[in-house]
Formats: sequence, structure tokens, C-alpha cells
Amino acid sequence: MTEMDPGLLITLITIIISGLGIVVGTAIPALAEGRAVVKALEAIARQPDAASDLRTTLLIAMALLESTAIYVLLIMLVLIFANPLLDRFF
Amino acid sequence: MERVVPKVVFNIFGLPIRDTVVSTWIAMVLIVGAAIIVGRRRPIVLEILVHFLNDTVSDVMGRPARPYLPLLGTLAIFISITNIIGILPVLNAPTRDINTPLALALVVFASVHYFGIRSQGLVGYLKDLASPIFLLPLEIVSQISRTLSLAVRLFGNIISGELIVAVIFSLAPLFVPLPLTGFSILTGILQAYIFTALAAVYTGAALKARETKSSESSESG
Repeated sequence: MTEMDPGLLITLITIIISGLGIVVGTAIPALAEGRAVVKALEAIARQPDAASDLRTTLLIAMALLESTAIYVLLIMLVLIFANPLLDRFF
Repeated sequence: MERVVPKVVFNIFGLPIRDTVVSTWIAMVLIVGAAIIVGRRRPIVLEILVHFLNDTVSDVMGRPARPYLPLLGTLAIFISITNIIGILPVLNAPTRDINTPLALALVVFASVHYFGIRSQGLVGYLKDLASPIFLLPLEIVSQISRTLSLAVRLFGNIISGELIVAVIFSLAPLFVPLPLTGFSILTGILQAYIFTALAAVYTGAALKARETKSSESSESG
């Protein structure tokens, strides 16, 4: 690989890593949330009386699972908009 | 690209005031004004709202939530109004800036410890925190990470909604971003509920041992 301008190299690596990171970082929480919803729906079907308890627990659990995807998004935002290596601070 | 960091609008006595701070003031005026006006004409609406919050928080905490309702109810109402206010054209959602969710998370952190110490006494509360002593480092780390994750969850949801609307608006303006804007209203209210529910769970966990013991002793006494 020819010697590139270091800023260009860092930008390139940042873009590739951001893309990969978002794909992996949103796929895994989405799968986990899907499994949680499946179990919750099965439990509601088994006991419709406990539906509101289950709904509350399900919502809280999904928010906690979602927050890991938000962590990934936060790092991607920092890398793209406020990359310390490139001295970009919008 | 859209600005991610809010811009400074004016200065008061040399302190830079951001546009999100101005939005917070407008939200405060809106909430207090709406409460006063609705309270004069149809106070039943306020009662319904307070009862709804009371039932929701009691459900999550597993105990009567009356003493903790001022803080938790205020969190719910304030966060949902400030999340929704970002829809209006000139205003920015205050929770879009990392500082507002961070401040709210720090308030929850301080108030959880305050409620725990108030109900269990300082020594009792510290003993409760360190009950399996080898879990104490894990407990300390989890306190910090809980607070941070409260702030980051709220901030990340709101700013990602705004970024997506801004990107789509720059591609295809007029009516195309509207469904996404509607979805961010839903997300705003949902995130307010999640924040309040998690704050209620943390408060309930800090109070746990004492309340059940006192109710048992009052039943047997």
C-alpha cells in the first residue's frame, strides 16, 4: 500500500470501522430484543391476565437492551463528527 | 452536515447560554403555564394525570409511591415535554444536548442515595450496599454505569431521531420526514417512561430491606 497522507488513512479506517460497527452493533441487540419479545408474547398467550405486568417488564427490558445499540451509535457519532485524531470538532 | 453540538445564542453576565437552555426555559414556562391554566378550569385532568403517574410508578416500584412521586412524576412530565418540543420548527429539544440528560441522571443518582440514607440511616445503607463484601467493587461500578447509561440512553435516542430527520430532510424535503417526526414523538414519550421507570426501580432497590420489615413489624405489633 502506498504511503498515504495520514489524515486520509485515518479517515478511511474510520469510515470502514464505522460502517462495520453500526452493522454489527445494531444486529446483535436487535436479535436479542427479538428473542425477548418472543418469550414475552408466549407468556402473554399463556396467561392473558398478567398481560400488563408482562408489558411493563418487556418495555423496561427492551429499553435496557436498546441502550447497548445506543452506546455503539454514540461512539460512531464521536468518530465521525468529533474525531480526536483528525481534530474535527463541529 | 448538521451541527451536533448546540450553538451559543447569547451571554448573560459572561456565561454563554446555549439554544437548548433557552428551550428548557420555554418548556418550563409551558409546563407551569399549562398546569396553572388547566388547574383553574378542569382540575380533574390534573388529578387523572397524577393518579396515572402514581399507579405506574407504584406498579414498577412494588410499593406505594406517594413520597417519591414529586421527583419521579416531574421527571416523567419534564422529559416527555422536552422531547416533544423538538418537533416545533424553531426550538431544539433540550435533551439533544448531552448536558440535560446528564444532569437528570445525576439528579437521579443523588436522590437514590438520599432516599436510601433517609430510610435506612447512613450506616444501614452503606451496610446494605456492601452486603456481600466481595461484590462491593461490582456494586460501585454498577452505580456509575447505571447513571451513565440513563443519560446516554436518553441522549442517544433523541439525537439519533433528530439526525435521521435532518438527513432525510436534506434529501427529500416537504412532507417526507413527517412519519419519522411522528415516530420521534413516540420515542420521546417512551424514553420518558423508561427513564422514570428505571429511576423508580433504582429508588425501590435502595429502599428495599427497611420498608418490608417495618410493615411486617406493624402487622405483628
